Amino acid sequence: MIAERVLSIWCRELRRDDISVDDNFFALGGQSVIMAGIQGAFIDELDVEVPMDQLFLNPTVSSISAYIESMGATTS
Amino acid sequence: MILRGKRVALPPDPVVHRRFEAHARTTPDAVAVRWADREVSYAELDVRANRFAHLLIARGHGRGARVGLCLDYSIDLLVAILGTLKAGAAYVPLDPAYPEARLRLLLGQVPDLAMIVASPATFAQVESATVEVVVFEELADYLDGLAGTAPDVPVTGDDVCYAVFTSGSTGTPKLTAVRHEGWFNLLNWLMLEFGLDSGSDNLVVSAFGFDLSQRSLMMPLFCGATQHLLASRNFDAAMAYRLLNRHGIRVVHCASSTLYLLVDWETARKGDALTRLDYVIFGGEALHVERLANWMRREGNTCTLLHQYGVAECTDVASSYDLAGYRAGEHDIAPVGRPAYNTDLHIVDEHLRGVAAGEYGEICIAGTSVGAGYLNGTGPESERFTTIEVDGEPRRVYRTGDRGHVDANGDLVIAGRMDAQVKVRGMRIDPTDIERALGRLPGVRQAAVAVGRTDSGDVELIAFLVPTGDELAEDDVRAGLLETLPRNMVPARFVNTARIPLSPHGKVDRPALIEEFRANFADSGTPA
Repeated sequence: MIAERVLSIWCRELRRDDISVDDNFFALGGQSVIMAGIQGAFIDELDVEVPMDQLFLNPTVSSISAYIESMGATTS
Repeated sequence: MILRGKRVALPPDPVVHRRFEAHARTTPDAVAVRWADREVSYAELDVRANRFAHLLIARGHGRGARVGLCLDYSIDLLVAILGTLKAGAAYVPLDPAYPEARLRLLLGQVPDLAMIVASPATFAQVESATVEVVVFEELADYLDGLAGTAPDVPVTGDDVCYAVFTSGSTGTPKLTAVRHEGWFNLLNWLMLEFGLDSGSDNLVVSAFGFDLSQRSLMMPLFCGATQHLLASRNFDAAMAYRLLNRHGIRVVHCASSTLYLLVDWETARKGDALTRLDYVIFGGEALHVERLANWMRREGNTCTLLHQYGVAECTDVASSYDLAGYRAGEHDIAPVGRPAYNTDLHIVDEHLRGVAAGEYGEICIAGTSVGAGYLNGTGPESERFTTIEVDGEPRRVYRTGDRGHVDANGDLVIAGRMDAQVKVRGMRIDPTDIERALGRLPGVRQAAVAVGRTDSGDVELIAFLVPTGDELAEDDVRAGLLETLPRNMVPARFVNTARIPLSPHGKVDRPALIEEFRANFADSGTPA
């Protein structure tokens, strides 16, 4: 499942372990520098480049995971 | 103590868009702007901007008018900027990434706003009952019917070219106006002093509302070079880095925090696009040189880092330092160097008298770059535009509120603020502005905001909250603030407390708050 891998990247970059798939990134204390870290991790670990605007428009693990799946990303 | 900038004569009418128009005549086919997969030549951009100027003039928004621009980066944005200037009007950048409530608060602070230019994506955020809002795309047919020749408007160097919002000290953002002469002087200085020319292609990586973005947007058009814009509302490091790799971009202007991000991006992915640039021109907050040190030492790195200092009230940049001169053993803090052309930096004591060489004091800026002041009312900040006595003569200066001194090499070094303001990721922030937003949230009896430091040395905002009833949940408070404040202004941490300590003068005692915070949370790191 892509959502599990996205969730673990979020937890690592946000340094929180209490994140659920419907929590809002910004309400969790996220800001643009952390989002850039997540964008980089998606490239390095999921081999998918998600535009920053999409990361801002999909600020939950569930919605961004759905977006990545719609891009046809490999889940290896 | 005075640092005097070199005197360099400006043309009789130092008007920024005239320089662009000269390039449109001499190199009409050169590419002016690239955005997504589109590009526009100097000649075409000039004609489109002329048409937009005629539209403004036809609606009565000519010389002296103020036009709000709420547009994402695009070729249209540059048409609107240049067209506004050609009409003799000033533009007010409105960042489309801001929450609607913040945009409305800012719009309420623009006196005599003539018109707002929006896009289909931003229209709803700025729709207004009192000011005409036009959607740029819907004007296309009308614009095509207007003359493509430059309107005959006698703009002078003293006319206002743009006005940007900066923090005040009373919780209300101030709209600070910049004059053509000051902007021309800034761009002319960067061009001549650092050898920028028609090959100095630029990439904009900062948000539209910043003063540095106005410089970044106009710099290549002033030099006859190509401007590259990201097809993204939010800064997108992956997209920016790809453009740096593929196009012959030579210059990037950014806040220090964006430079760290780009350097980390390049280091993690073993690229070299940044090292191949001519210049990164950056500043806006205390610099941690160690975060750049390994990258700076990379073999084949030909990129010059210009560490600059300035304030929006005095046209954005006042001084510049080539970071190659920084020596870790010799400097505690990276200097910000020597003044721009036609700019003097006075270091003064509390009586506005010059301090001795090397001593600390408040930095005052004098010269061509001093702006036209605040457009929204007087208030205590307006007193910062004042007169000091220099060699028995009165001199108009702007008191920056920044503390600093001139080091043994003759370079300016910044040592913080005289007041409670703080810079976070390049944005000057007034804690009372945030406190006011916090005070409006349900369950908050009283709030205070102070500045702490993360483990990595970055500035972070910490909010102290006195709840009316139960303890406030951090995530709820943050979500509430995001409705009304730009993300840079939302504190990193929230702490429930029983009371807010006051100084003997009855003001919030911010140092005491931070002391209390350290005592209680000393071992807990903060997410950077």
